[in-house]
Amino acid sequence: MEFTITREHLLKQIQPVAGVSDKKKTLAVLANILIVVENSRLSLIGSDLEIELIMMSQLEGDFIAGEVTTPADKLLDICRNLPETSLISFKLDDDKLTVRSGGSRFSLSTLPAADFPTIQGSSPKITINLPQNQFKQLIYGSQFAMAQQDVRYYLNGMLFEADRESLRMIATDGHRLAVTHSKQHAAGDAHGDFHIILPRKAISELYRLLQDEDMALQIGLDDNHIRITGAGFVFIAKLIDGRFPDYKRVLPQGGERIIEVDRDLLKQGLSRAAILSSEKHRGVRLQLEPGWMRIIANNPEQEEAEEVLELDYKGDNFEIGFNASYLLDVLNTVPPGGVKLTLQDANCSALIESQVETASLKSVYVVMPLRL
Amino acid sequence: MQANKKWPRAILLMDLNAFFASVEQRDFPELRGKPVAITNGDQGSAMITCSYEARKFGLKTGMRLWEARKRCPDLIVQPSRHKAYSAASKVVMQALQKVTPDIEIFSVDEAFLDVTNCQSLHGTPEKMARMVKDIIFEVSGLLCSVGVSGDKTTAKYAAGVQKPDGLTVILPWEAEKRLQEVPVTQLCGIGPKVGQFLANYGVLRCKDMKNIPMNVLSKRYGNMGRRIWLMCQGKDPEPVCTKIEDPKSVGHGKVLPPGTRNEKIILNYFFRMSDMVAERMRKYGMRAQSYHISYLSEAGRSGGKYRLVVPEHDGQHIFHLCRYMLDHHWSGEVVKQIQVTAIDPQPGDTQIDLFAAPDEKREKLHTVVDQVNKRFGDSRKIGPGMLQKKY
Repeated sequence: MEFTITREHLLKQIQPVAGVSDKKKTLAVLANILIVVENSRLSLIGSDLEIELIMMSQLEGDFIAGEVTTPADKLLDICRNLPETSLISFKLDDDKLTVRSGGSRFSLSTLPAADFPTIQGSSPKITINLPQNQFKQLIYGSQFAMAQQDVRYYLNGMLFEADRESLRMIATDGHRLAVTHSKQHAAGDAHGDFHIILPRKAISELYRLLQDEDMALQIGLDDNHIRITGAGFVFIAKLIDGRFPDYKRVLPQGGERIIEVDRDLLKQGLSRAAILSSEKHRGVRLQLEPGWMRIIANNPEQEEAEEVLELDYKGDNFEIGFNASYLLDVLNTVPPGGVKLTLQDANCSALIESQVETASLKSVYVVMPLRL
Repeated sequence: MQANKKWPRAILLMDLNAFFASVEQRDFPELRGKPVAITNGDQGSAMITCSYEARKFGLKTGMRLWEARKRCPDLIVQPSRHKAYSAASKVVMQALQKVTPDIEIFSVDEAFLDVTNCQSLHGTPEKMARMVKDIIFEVSGLLCSVGVSGDKTTAKYAAGVQKPDGLTVILPWEAEKRLQEVPVTQLCGIGPKVGQFLANYGVLRCKDMKNIPMNVLSKRYGNMGRRIWLMCQGKDPEPVCTKIEDPKSVGHGKVLPPGTRNEKIILNYFFRMSDMVAERMRKYGMRAQSYHISYLSEAGRSGGKYRLVVPEHDGQHIFHLCRYMLDHHWSGEVVKQIQVTAIDPQPGDTQIDLFAAPDEKREKLHTVVDQVNKRFGDSRKIGPGMLQKKY
């Protein structure tokens, strides 16, 4: 195997692949990336058995076909530390991979390509086509609400579902919920209903991989896998086998106390007040009066913060507590402009929506309060 | 007038002598001057403490009763009355406020007092130590030993020098010299494990500590290591901590009757421990998500760490974890002891969950059970599970 490539070109390919490869070294070969050269095409493949990412690019100049695996992190570090715009050549001699660039030479250890496990999905039952940026926005709208290492393992990921009307991404950690859905169907695609759960790591790697551009993306689903094919990459992930909770049941219906406020005004007020909230729950009290909101935070050191905001509220005098981080996560995700909070009472969930009309997507957020 | 003689720091450690036994001797005059052993309730088979008269026979905390009786045939065994002890402790700790507000209640029968700022008010630290002894005797009729020095570790060491009814002053500037020949493991905070670590570096007595650099300890034990290095030289920097911190874990264990291998009985004990842990958390207003659940058998300790879906303080749910543990680890062997510990309990039922609606009936049940138990004593007459059938 032999080929030459520019540093920038290679770096762009290696970074996402190295992100996927398994640093916990459950299997030695998974800490490696698989390099395949054939038909003037270079493929770099990383896997942790749950997720597999294949990055493909066209090679320029001479090459000798072949395949091998080599440590992902070391190769990435070498690539990063070489000077910009340098040309890097690779050559496999027996079981050593020699990397040269200018006056630098590295001899890396390898493991045979045949040892590298690839995920064998069956042929997809459902195929969806939609623009890359739209899929990325679907993820963006909900991803912050995913659980982390929850015993309810199915919450450590994101529910991706579709029906006749829309595509939806739903995430929750039991304290807050995010639902992002497309307003109309992409490209009039005909596909059946489905509900799948994508694991947390797949979501974060995918989000980094996807671009904010209107490029084509094909999503294929079989019973256990999702296979996402875009320009220059194929991303495969095992799905989480579990029952996502019935999120529709916890979407609040109605609610008489409605607050309308500028996103940044509320965000800044909350951020400042939260400085003096307790570290554990980051609790803040929202005291509402017609036309006003007072945000109050206390901590165990008996320090106190108070923020008074002028906003649109016509209901009665009312008090409710929240984890400020949960509210801020929502406010950091919605677009700048007006937001609407709908509250029922102090022990019921709050509904938060952006008032900014967007072309293709809409998100709704539910946050459970803290008991005061 | 003697302003130049003020100590830069003055710390007192008050230690109530043979506390539980002394309370018994105080409340039952017929026990005075006699060897008395205290057992855990009516069923305890080991001594949890004994009077000084009994200690003369070589009796020690934790000794089995039959062994104690062999050594001291006239031994009087009294079941413990924890309510009386905590009442006495409360009276003592409150009375100490007359000396200084800077008090750290170190245990039920020990307290540190930072009297640095009281020297102009009350006089020398030694005078304040006498004051402490007088006040305690006045309000409770109990004797105590007091250690006086310039730091917590030396004060604690000093309190142990003369017992019972002692008063030992170690001048702060003589602390290092006084500790020189003391084995490091005699200092409070240096257990057998740290002791072994230090022994590997040739540090057996406090004076040896100077021979190793501080970073040997700080690398291994962090800030605690730095403290250990300093405290062996009479320079323990630890302040008297007046704030009561939240418990880091809440646990209960129980030694089972010899030869227990009946699953129903074992589960019953786990049930009671789960209830006790849950009740204590409710008392503190805390909940925990993770629990260490284990049992001791001939082969050693088995069990592990188990998690609930959300943080809770419900004995029933903790008990489910116990049953799960037993199903996975236990294969019919004799169980000697069981242990249920809640890890990192957190304040509160504050964050409401989206999917797990709070069970108001159970909350009410818990409140009632806690009230009943509070009123009818500590022998644990009921648990929520026993009442549940009515719901």
